[in-house]
Amino acid sequence: MKKRLYLELENCIGCRSCLAACTQCGGHEERNRNYVYDVNPLVNRQTMPLMCLHCVNPACARSCPAQAIQIHETGAVLSALVEKCIGCQNCTIACPYGIPKFDTEQNLMYKCDLCIDRTKDGIPPMCASVCPSNTLQWLTDDEIEAKQKQFNLDNGKWVTSMPYLEGETNVKVNLPGILQGVTKLF
Amino acid sequence: MTDKNNKIPFNEDNYTHNINRNNERKLDRRGFMKTLVGAAGVFAVSSLPWGVLAAKELNGLEDKKYPKQKITDVSALPVGDAVDFAFPGEHDSAILIRLSEKKYVAYQNACTHLRCPVFWKKDEGEMLCPCHHGKFDVETGAPIAGPPRRPLPEIHVKVENGAVYAVGVKRYEA
Repeated sequence: MKKRLYLELENCIGCRSCLAACTQCGGHEERNRNYVYDVNPLVNRQTMPLMCLHCVNPACARSCPAQAIQIHETGAVLSALVEKCIGCQNCTIACPYGIPKFDTEQNLMYKCDLCIDRTKDGIPPMCASVCPSNTLQWLTDDEIEAKQKQFNLDNGKWVTSMPYLEGETNVKVNLPGILQGVTKLF
Repeated sequence: MTDKNNKIPFNEDNYTHNINRNNERKLDRRGFMKTLVGAAGVFAVSSLPWGVLAAKELNGLEDKKYPKQKITDVSALPVGDAVDFAFPGEHDSAILIRLSEKKYVAYQNACTHLRCPVFWKKDEGEMLCPCHHGKFDVETGAPIAGPPRRPLPEIHVKVENGAVYAVGVKRYEA
């Protein structure tokens, strides 16, 4: 039963639990690897989490000259292998979402690896397991399909990051209804 | 827009650029380099037996025994003349010089400079290498002129029953 991370961006309350949880995820060395952004800074209080979307065809991995970024069999795009990463920062430039972070002290890139030690065994990643507002969910594809039915569609085009943002992603994102011009029922 | 950037995998050679975890060590450059280094190691190790054989050969030269070999009859070799022969192998050309009634000397006659055949100049009384005019002392085989720096390997000879035999090689010692 393959599950995906699903982001319901509208639910975000800006509590930064996902960041706190990420710092405590195994192997993350007390560093958080995701982001919480203000959607309209100084205009309203809406925030949105952003973590690696785990592209099917990841620009970061393809741009890496040392092949330090690898795709796990589950589809997760892993963080740079410490023994391979040469600190060139190609991936930080290549990623259209600005996900990879760079550790200038160690001269190494690090990024969300979807808590691979958990998700490879079907356990949700830390951020999803702590999110109090269901912004981050760990769902099967069927459950993501069912999400569609919560929306009134006037154009028949309800999407979770489909058509793709920059390319197909393993993490599905429901862009806020505000941006999509659709109204949420719940 | 929908299929932008989305051809999986790209039509490209993935033997040197692999980003799949499961193909690690099968397809990536490091795997290739490891294969190269491993192969080099295998070749290096597999050449050791030959090194051992060579070392054995070189260490055992001192007490190497060759079957004695007839060079010529005493009657066929006047005093002051020389005869060419091969000892111990058929390609190790050598020269036997009769210096007096009882005294014979024999050397492997490949010049120690560049292995030209050294010959006996009877009227000069010296051994000469024609290529670069290297000269050797006929009594000892030591170089006395020209480029060679090492003496010719001496061949021990023995006279028995009116014939001269080669019995061994005294090799050059540094």
